[in-house]
Amino acid sequence: MLSLPSARGRLAHLPREARDTLFLLAVIGWVLLPQVAHLPAWCSLLAFGVLFWRGVLAVRGRPLPGRWWLVALLLAALAATWASHRTLLGREAGVTLVVILLALKTLELRARRDALVVFFLGFFTMLTSFFHSQSLATAAAMLVGLLGLLTALVNAHRPVGQPSLRESAWLAGRMALAGAPVMVALFVFFPRFAPLWGMPSDAFTGRSGLSSTLRVGSVAELALDEGIALRVRFDGTPPPRSQLYFRGPVLSRFDGREWTARGGDGFEAMAGPPPGDLRVAGEPLRYEVTLEPSGRPWLLAIDAAPRPPELPERWRARLTGDLQWVSAHPVTELLRYRAESYPAFSYGQAGRDGRPRRDLGAWLQLPPDFNPRTQALARQLRAQAPDEDPEAIVQAALRRLAQGGYAYTLEPGVAGRHTADEFWLDAKAGFCEHIASAFVVLMRGAGVPARIVTGFQGGEMNGVDGYWTVRNADAHAWAEVWLAGRGWVRVDPTGAVMPGRIGQFQRLRAPPGLVAGALGTFSPTLLARLRATWEAANNGWNQWVLNYTQSRQFDLLRGLGFAQPSWEDLGKVLAGLLAAAALGGAAWARWDSARHDPWLRLLQRARQRLRQAGIDAPPHAPPRELMRRVAASGMPAALRQPLADWLLALERQRYAPPAAGGAATLATLRRDFHQLQWPRAA
Amino acid sequence: MPAEGIFLLENSAAPPWWAWHARLRAWWLARVPLADTLALTQGNVYILPTRAGWMLAATLAVLLVASINYQLNLGYLLTFLLAGCAAAGMVVGHGTLRGLTLHLPPPQPLFAGGLAVLDVKLANARRTPRHAIGVALRDTRHWAWADVPAGGEATVQVSFQPARRGLHRVPALTVETRFPLGTFRVWTVWHPAAQVLVYPAPEPLPPALPLGEPRAGSGLAGGARATGEFDGVRGYQRGDPMKLIVWKKFAKSGELVARDTLHMQRQALWLDFARAGGLGTEGRLSRLAAWVLAADAQGLDYGLRLPGIEIAPAGGAAQRLRCLQALATC
Repeated sequence: MLSLPSARGRLAHLPREARDTLFLLAVIGWVLLPQVAHLPAWCSLLAFGVLFWRGVLAVRGRPLPGRWWLVALLLAALAATWASHRTLLGREAGVTLVVILLALKTLELRARRDALVVFFLGFFTMLTSFFHSQSLATAAAMLVGLLGLLTALVNAHRPVGQPSLRESAWLAGRMALAGAPVMVALFVFFPRFAPLWGMPSDAFTGRSGLSSTLRVGSVAELALDEGIALRVRFDGTPPPRSQLYFRGPVLSRFDGREWTARGGDGFEAMAGPPPGDLRVAGEPLRYEVTLEPSGRPWLLAIDAAPRPPELPERWRARLTGDLQWVSAHPVTELLRYRAESYPAFSYGQAGRDGRPRRDLGAWLQLPPDFNPRTQALARQLRAQAPDEDPEAIVQAALRRLAQGGYAYTLEPGVAGRHTADEFWLDAKAGFCEHIASAFVVLMRGAGVPARIVTGFQGGEMNGVDGYWTVRNADAHAWAEVWLAGRGWVRVDPTGAVMPGRIGQFQRLRAPPGLVAGALGTFSPTLLARLRATWEAANNGWNQWVLNYTQSRQFDLLRGLGFAQPSWEDLGKVLAGLLAAAALGGAAWARWDSARHDPWLRLLQRARQRLRQAGIDAPPHAPPRELMRRVAASGMPAALRQPLADWLLALERQRYAPPAAGGAATLATLRRDFHQLQWPRAA
Repeated sequence: MPAEGIFLLENSAAPPWWAWHARLRAWWLARVPLADTLALTQGNVYILPTRAGWMLAATLAVLLVASINYQLNLGYLLTFLLAGCAAAGMVVGHGTLRGLTLHLPPPQPLFAGGLAVLDVKLANARRTPRHAIGVALRDTRHWAWADVPAGGEATVQVSFQPARRGLHRVPALTVETRFPLGTFRVWTVWHPAAQVLVYPAPEPLPPALPLGEPRAGSGLAGGARATGEFDGVRGYQRGDPMKLIVWKKFAKSGELVARDTLHMQRQALWLDFARAGGLGTEGRLSRLAAWVLAADAQGLDYGLRLPGIEIAPAGGAAQRLRCLQALATC
């Protein structure tokens, strides 16, 4: 076992080749690290195993494995990729292959030329990690990776001796700083195109969010996900949390295990024409939503938004019969829109034809062989209600939830066949989707039309930037019952079980990590503040970087005075910037060539002065030669002597050995130059 | 370091355009001014992307397409930052050569067949070092690399093998750098004004020095050597009689030394082109060079007669230099 100092000593005394290789391997490892969570396990193991092997070979100075080894490893990796992804094309398989190629190429790191391939594969691997996350943290990690790769690249182009890595890193950092304005200009003005060809269908797998189906357990996974689903900024004061129901898919069909929406996921297929009798009252809430990409067409808005959200150009939105706003195509990028919602609303009393609706059968259906005890309970409730009044039945069910010893838990255990029976009569515990599902089953059993609405409830105000943050953990499921004369009415049975779940910030949290736990015990407010700051930074990042789309580009152009911005204008601006940069460069080059050598310039000025006095001073005459010519010119000694002294001092400044001392500085010489009495032409 | 690459252009099987190319290069090279000191400026430093540069451009294109297709704004940032770094690298690379001063002190003369060593001096007036500057003969790839310290100087040695004797112009040099990213080749072509003097290669086993000729005005006709009066010793020459050799000296030091007679000193040693055997011109010059070296090693006075040139007998380093120069350039 090596002790630490001796290991460091060994690192410092490694031959250059080995040291450079180890550094490059470390950088590659850093670039690959964020990928590990998304790669097949064999791929991560193989990649890091190969990197480690290569490191050992470098430290021990052993020869690299032969070509056949590489071919065999590559074939095995191809086979494994096929086994994992069932294809060699597509995004996921492509990323796996790029990672494998990058790792294997390090085994072929013989010449500097091979190194170049590694660098370029490395840059590409960095891009692939953005498929999974474009957060500020990812950006910071990849910036470090980029600087590391550049450092290694600079280092590889210094063939002399054993250059210090710190010097190379310094240079790489300076180049990145110099490149930053280019990056900003291109980022701001480079025209944003739609995808050049069809988006691969697997572009958005692996993103969590709401789902169009509800199976017990799927929302539980979401409840543990602290990832952000959307951010909201209200125009005025934010409403109370209890009013913030962001409406997602409405699930009406139940097969005993799974709730699904009517129709399907498509824009056209989704649940028929919009409700004709939506009535709103009171003052609307006006707000701006920044929706994280979900790969789904759902545009989340607070209940109820009668007018379509103001979307960027080329987006279309429509309202489904279930009062949900959907867009024509999936939200695959950070999307920002403005919306207007009225917390007081009613709808659904009338059917499509405008008359009181009769088509409520769909919301009363239950699969026959499921939940017999709940249905018995439902019949009992209905019998107990005065006049079988639906509203009384709902109230009775809510009372039962509140007083019957029911509990909210994130760990309800595995449900059997009769999920509603288990909730109502056995376990008496569950989380929102259990409760909502069991509640709707009970209502339907009692003859009250009911359905499940999924979406987000609540959220949290970020005190730093004033944005309201809604996380995937805020995903919620509630119920709607249809009451004659009132239409669809929201009932949140979870609120009856655990009032704190709704409207107050008491979400069940996943246990904090070790560091967060320690910080939390040290200072709970500090942790909250740190978190708020971090999220504000992230939100700024989202607003200004990730959400920088074509419409924002055009807004900027409008601000610059283009009346009708188009992407040709963007091109013009870029070309203008390029021309300005080129002109600046040319001016600088001119200035630079003029400032060559201050000493020579001073000498040149002295020659000019002498020439003005009629003394022949050839362009390459050194100071001593000038002195000779001054002496020969026959000017009075009082004038000649200081001149000769000055020229001698000029010579000494340049040519006297530094140890001799007594040499005037260039600044003094320049001052003396101006104080000297130069001869005038006769 | 043999410069076998120099003559690559004289390939008879080359396609016709290649001949044009070669002619164009020769024309262009002739326009490069001769100078022993060359200050590199915007005007004489060239820059073009390398193969690695094109590879980086292709990588950038792929990154850009991926960013567009997957709508990755962070991908755009990465692509553009990398492009910005490459642009900065271009400026840094150009700046590595621009402002550098190249200087070539006069190279040492040498014998044909030897290597002429050029001590190229790179002077950096800047306050930051310049890295990874390579110097090579034009059209060869034997790079000699150096880092030039801030405000300092570095010396790089390049060598070449002149083909024959004579006064040769130093071949054109390429000074190049691919620093910092290897994506751009920044170079300059420098034709130093210095000339290198190449003496004829001395014949490896030359015959003995020719016999002396009577000095003009000595009054003695050439006679036998056997006077018996010895005035000193000198180095052995082939043809010296055995009895003149100082055997005691040989036993002590292994050095063959012969006794010299007064009579020989009255003879002047003339190394004559006309009497250098029946070889061709170059062969005779080689022999004369070997004789000059031998006579100089023995400390003799000698004169040299070449067609149209006659150097009066004398000794010492100056005479040696004079004679070798005459042999090199005649």
